[in-house]
Order: sequence, then structure tokens, then C-alpha cells
Amino acid sequence: MATTPNPRRRSPRVSDGSEALTPVGDTTLTGLQRLPGHTRYPLTPSRFAANTPSANRRTPRNRGGAPSTPYRVQAMQRRAANTPGRDRRRSGRVQRETTFDILRNLGKALAPTTQPIRSSPQEKPSPEPEPEPERDEIEELDNEPEIERPRLSLPLDEVDEVDEEPEIRPPRLSLAFEEEDLTHTSIEYPRRATSEHDRGRLSMMSVGGPRMSEIGAATRIESESEDEDDTGIVGDDNEAGEDTVISQGDFDGGGETEDLGRFNFDFNFPTPPPPGEDLDQDEPIHDDEGFELPVDMPLDTEAGLDDASVSMAADDFDMQSPLHQPVALSESQSPGIAGGGLRDEDRYMPGTKQKKLSRHGIPVPNLPVGVVKKLATRFARARNGSKAKISKETLAAIEQASSWYFEQASEDLAAYSKHAGRKTIDESDVATLMRRQRHVNNATTIFSLAQKHLPKELLQDMRLAMPP
Amino acid sequence: MAATQKLYPRATVKRVVKAHSNRSLSKNADILIFLDYMLFMQELMRESSIQSRKAGEKNISPNSVRKVTERTLRKFKG
Repeated sequence: MATTPNPRRRSPRVSDGSEALTPVGDTTLTGLQRLPGHTRYPLTPSRFAANTPSANRRTPRNRGGAPSTPYRVQAMQRRAANTPGRDRRRSGRVQRETTFDILRNLGKALAPTTQPIRSSPQEKPSPEPEPEPERDEIEELDNEPEIERPRLSLPLDEVDEVDEEPEIRPPRLSLAFEEEDLTHTSIEYPRRATSEHDRGRLSMMSVGGPRMSEIGAATRIESESEDEDDTGIVGDDNEAGEDTVISQGDFDGGGETEDLGRFNFDFNFPTPPPPGEDLDQDEPIHDDEGFELPVDMPLDTEAGLDDASVSMAADDFDMQSPLHQPVALSESQSPGIAGGGLRDEDRYMPGTKQKKLSRHGIPVPNLPVGVVKKLATRFARARNGSKAKISKETLAAIEQASSWYFEQASEDLAAYSKHAGRKTIDESDVATLMRRQRHVNNATTIFSLAQKHLPKELLQDMRLAMPP
Repeated sequence: MAATQKLYPRATVKRVVKAHSNRSLSKNADILIFLDYMLFMQELMRESSIQSRKAGEKNISPNSVRKVTERTLRKFKG
């Protein structure tokens, strides 16, 4: 009947007022005519008086007094005109109010709050379910064809049944046949691509790296010294000749395979004298790195030992870049360019110069060995304890790695600055690099890293350079 | 640590980066680059010491450094 809760609440008020003030005979009659069923109930008489909309509306105003001024009367009329729904609602409400109010009054009389809540669920389920299942069964029987019709009409089942079979089969077949090949290769492609790319990159770096020349020099030097000791100078000539070839190959830069092949040739020569090196050369992957680095080792070890080799190294440094004179000198402490390697000098010269150049054709200096060593020992000590010792071979490998690192990092930085449309590499570029290297994140800032690693002077400079 | 350490050759670092990148460096960018280089060295030494310990060597051998180099470099690829 009535769904809105409002009428119930308002009804008592209205009824009281209407009863007290203005029950009109016509309205009561209309109310009675409208509500024949409610006469049964004893509580209705109050309703009869309250039923009329006119009574409902005017009672509150009559309480406050009749509209004294014409303005007020007009206002009320306007209000009534503006809201025509009122009368409807009231009239409807009256009817609905009656039934619910009857029940409500009953509930109030019997038990104000608890009973209606208890009674309604208790009563309802007990009588309702009994008739419902009967109806439901009948309805279901009636509805069964109705329900089936839409299902039949729906194409879903048929479509699924029909389509699933062809859909499932071809993909399996196609995937099975094609993917077996594709997956194997396709999964590996990116890996291979990256590895090849990186290797190519590294090898490029190694080609451009300054070590090569020194390595070559070292091998020759070793071979010289050792050959002199052992057999003869014949081996030297061969090696020297090939070294020059190698240097040319390095100059090409792109021709890595050629370099490799020549390196292999090279190795065959120097291998006999130092047996310990053979292991080193064989162990690493057959890359340029693997070859170069082992060759590096003897450089430093024997460079310190043999005067001739030292002089050779010094010469190389001199020729390549004057910057490294101090380093070379400090290492060798014998600047004599003695006749030990005159011919070697002539052959090395071009190669070494080219190798020292970066890919932009700018000569690349080396970090001083002392700095690298200091850093390496410091970090090795932090890791390994105080007795961590770094041999010269290890140091050479570390230097090689650091030169590669600088090449890689500076290329990245150049890319960043280029992307930013700048001509200079800025602090922000380095910050970007470090963020991309995952060194800087939410937990660590550049400043915390700098605080940890850099001396105070540099820290201050850095602070000035980049305000946080 | 920081107090005992000497200043690194700033000019050299600048020149190295300049040569490789063919771009000029802003005034104090080399400090940060060197800081990054220190982190690289730290990582390199850490990895190589792990590697050498795995191989049962007493000290860090050049081989372990070499094995670790490529991996570490790739880790530092920006």
C-alpha cells in the first residue's frame, strides 16, 4: 500500500489538529467513501476527521491564525498553485496513512517497539512460504517453456558449441607447429642481440682502449726478454710484424673478427715462454677482453722488472700522449729510450697513437694508476679485511675495467645531454645516470652517496654546483 | 675514509669524459662522475672478491676481476 515512511509520522499530528479544529462534513464523507474498508477498524474515527486534504493543509495555518493580510493569502495561494502535487500527495497519503496507522496503533497498543519487529518476520515467513512454493511450482511449470525460449533464442550456446571447436583446433595446431620454432628462437633473439651488442660494444672499447698498445708492447717485450733468455730474437720479429698488423686492425675499429684472428695468431707466439699465462688466456671467454687482459698482466709485472720493457712502455706513453709521462716515468723511473726496442718503437708508434684515441678522435688520457689502486685497495679492504692485497695483474684488469667504464659512462652522459639539447654535460645528466643505475632512489640521494665517498672539499664543490 | 683520501685528478677525469663524449663538461660534473666511478669500483671489487672467494682464491685474482667486469659494466649501463 503505502511505501513512504513520511505519512506515518505526520499522520498523528495532522489527525490531532484536524480533529480539534476543522472537520468539514463533505470532506469526511469523501474520506468515508474512499475508505470503505477502514470502517471496520475501531481506530479509524480519528482518520475520518483528518482525511480531507483541505483539513490537512489548513489546519496548521489556522492554528497560527487565519491569514490576516491579503499578501499572506496571496502567498498561500501562489504556494498552492506552484505545488499542485501537494493535494495529490495528501489525498493519497490519507488513504495510505489509514491502513498503516491502524497497524501502527495496534502495534503501539500491544507493544510499542519490540512486537512489530518480532511479529513481522515471525508471521510473514510462516504464512508466506506455504503459499509461495505452491505458486512457485505452478509458475515454474508455466514458466518453463518461457524460460527455455529465450535460451533457445539466444545464440550463445549454439555459437559457443559451433565456434569453439574450430577456434580451439586451429590455434593449437598453428601454435604448436609454428611456436616451437618461433619460441626457441624468438626468446633467444633478444638475449643474443643484447649480448652481441654489448660484446661488440666492449670489444669496440677494447679496440679503442689504450691497453691494446701497451699489451702489444708488453707481449713483445716479454717475448723479447724471455726469448733473449731462451732462444733467440726470431720470435720477436714475427711478433712485432703481427703486432703492427694488429694495430692497423684496431685502427679500423669495426673489424673485430680480424683482430680476433690476429690475436689468436699472437697468442700462439707468446704462449710458449710463459706457461702460467696459457691458463689465463684459455679460461676467459674467447673475446677480445679475455685475450687482452691476460696479456696485460705480464706488462705490469715484467715492466717493473725489465729495464728494456720499462723503457718501451715509457716510450709508448711519450708518443701517445704527453699527459702520461709522469705516470710512465714514475713507474719506470728510467726515461732512457735505450736501444732495446728501437725497431719495436717504430712499429708500435702508429698503433699506440690510434688506440689512445676515442671514437671522436680525441686522445684519451688514463687515470693515474695510483688513484685506481687506492680506490681498489680501499674497497677490497672494506670487503675482504685489512690484508686484501691487489697484485699488479689484478690492478691492470681493474684499470681496463675502469677505462671501459669511463667510455660507457661518458657516452651515456653525452646521450643524456644531447637529449636535453645541451652541448655540455651537466650535473643533472650525471644525476640521471646515477638514477638509472639505481644508485639514487628514494632512500639514497646523491648527497648521501657523496657524503659517504667523497672528501669534504669535493663535497662542498658539489653542493655549490647542484643545490638540492 | 673521506678525510684521508686525496683529491683525485679532476682534470684527467674531465679530459677522459670529454674525449669519450666529445662534449664539454660543466664545472663540477666531474665530481659526480668520479663519485659514480667510485661506486663502480666498489661494485667491481665486491663482485670480484665474491668471485675469487668462490673460486677459492686467497686474494683477488685478475681472472675474477675479468669475469666480473662485463657483468658490472652492464649493471652500470645507464
